[in-house]
Formats: sequence, structure tokens, C-alpha cells
Amino acid sequence: MQQRKYGLVISDWNMEPMTGYELLKEVRGLPALSKTPFIMVTAESKTENVIAAKKAGVNNYIIKPFNAQTLKTKIEAVFAE
Amino acid sequence: MSVANIEPLDTLVHNIRQKRGEDVSLSDVVRLAEISTETFQAFFQAMNSAVLREMREIADYITAMRSEIGRLQAHDIRTARIPAAGRELDAVVKATEAATNCIMSCAEAVMAAEATDAAAYKTAVDEKMLVIFEACSFQDITGQRVAKVVETLEHIEARVSAFAAAVRTQDIAGALTDEEQQRAERKLRLLLHGPQLEGVGIAQPEVDSLLSSDKSNGNNSQSDIDALFA
Repeated sequence: MQQRKYGLVISDWNMEPMTGYELLKEVRGLPALSKTPFIMVTAESKTENVIAAKKAGVNNYIIKPFNAQTLKTKIEAVFAE
Repeated sequence: MSVANIEPLDTLVHNIRQKRGEDVSLSDVVRLAEISTETFQAFFQAMNSAVLREMREIADYITAMRSEIGRLQAHDIRTARIPAAGRELDAVVKATEAATNCIMSCAEAVMAAEATDAAAYKTAVDEKMLVIFEACSFQDITGQRVAKVVETLEHIEARVSAFAAAVRTQDIAGALTDEEQQRAERKLRLLLHGPQLEGVGIAQPEVDSLLSSDKSNGNNSQSDIDALFA
């Protein structure tokens, strides 16, 4: 991760061995990736998840199931910021 | 339990005490021994009956417990039902994956199809649509497999409930294995709730609202958060 440049990270939450939440915190902790746009796409739909992701620095959060238009809109919104 | 009659013993002991200073005769000692034996025989008989009754009750309880454990069918559950349910769920996952791949392939084929020849295009699309309809039939079989798994869970639940009621037991708080405890702590720490049922989780508009609140300084708007909990 540290050896490459990334323009955007789209990640699920429920993953093994590292969850998307842990990935988000790790990415935000790396100087080279701290500003990289990060979109969470997940079935985790509790408020505390959204708040935790926001506090950890997520740029956008998409609830599954989602459609292509939603993903496109969220990506555009992230790059418009 | 009947109380032993110690009056004769009391009387003899009183008489012996009256003879203080005199030698105690052999007959007094023998009489003392006789009366002691008679007095306590009743006591020990009563105690034996009580102990015997208790032992019998314990034996009956153990017999009943063994019967309840047998009715639990733990061996059948562990070696047959749960593995079978696991295989059904594996089959559900495989069937769902296969159907999804098939549907996606058809969709990609339709999207890539050459549309210049309208009749040929329609034929190609119709053909793929039929394949998609066929693939969607996975839901019928997976639904039946899931029903079998639910039946197994209900079987286990009925057995365990009956056993718990028969032995009149209650849950012991914190009775998790180390592995279960670690998994529970990890789920809590990493907010791993999984998909929520309809009406329990929040929808995309609420997520957007939450994320957009006070974007300028990155703080959460308490009123937005409060609104979500209202």
C-alpha cells in the first residue's frame, strides 16, 4: 500500500483478515494516503458505523444493496470536494 | 425423623452422679452402655432412613437427568443434523454464486452485443433473457435448502428448551468459551453488526445527511445524530 499511489479507495466493511474500518484507519495513518478519497460500500447500516467511519475520515458511505448510479454519484461528489 | 428418648439415660446419669465419691459399679457401666445403645439406635435408624431417602432421590434425579440428556439427542445433533445443515448452506452459497455469475455474464453479453442488426440483436437479447430467467430459478432450490436449515435450528431449539425446562436450569452469565469471547469482543470493537433487517438500519438518505452535517470542520451535528435516534 505504501509503495503505490492510489487515486481512490472503495472498500467493503466486513472483510477478513482486516475489516474496511481498520483499512480506513490504516490508510488515514499513512502520510502518502491520508488525503486519498475513501468510499465505504457496505451492508453495515447502523448509525454508529457511519459515525465511526466519518470520525475515521471516510469521504463517503454507500449502503448495500446499491446501484451503479449511486456509486457514480458518490464518486463524483468525492472528487468535486 | 423421630427424636431418640433419652429419659432413661438422663435418669441413669443422674443416679451415677448421686454416687459421687463412691466407686461406679460394673452393673452401672453395663446399664449405661445398654441404655446408650437403645437410645441412639432409634436415632441412627431414623437417620439411616433419611439418608436412604435422600440417596434414593438423588438416584432418581440422576436417572431422570440421563433420560433428559438422552432425549436431547446431542450425538445426533452434533454428528448428523448440524453437518447436514452446514452442507445445505454451502450448497446455497454455491448456487447463489453460480446464478449470479450466469446472470452477470448474460448481462455483459447483452451489453456487448452488436445492435446494428435489430432482428439479430433481439434474438440475442431474448436468448440471454431466457438464460437469466432460468438462472433465477436458483431461488426456489435455495429457499428449500434454507427451510431445511431452519428446521434443524428449530429441532435443536426445541430439544435444548425441553432439556433446560426439565433440569430447571437458568443461563449463567458470561458462559462463553475463550474463542467466543474473543469473537464477541472483536465484533464489538470493529462494529461488525452485519446486514440489518428492514427498519432496523438506516437508509442511504440518512447516511448522506449524517455525512454532510457540518462538513466544514468535520464535526458531527448532534441534532442530526439525535434525529436519527428519535
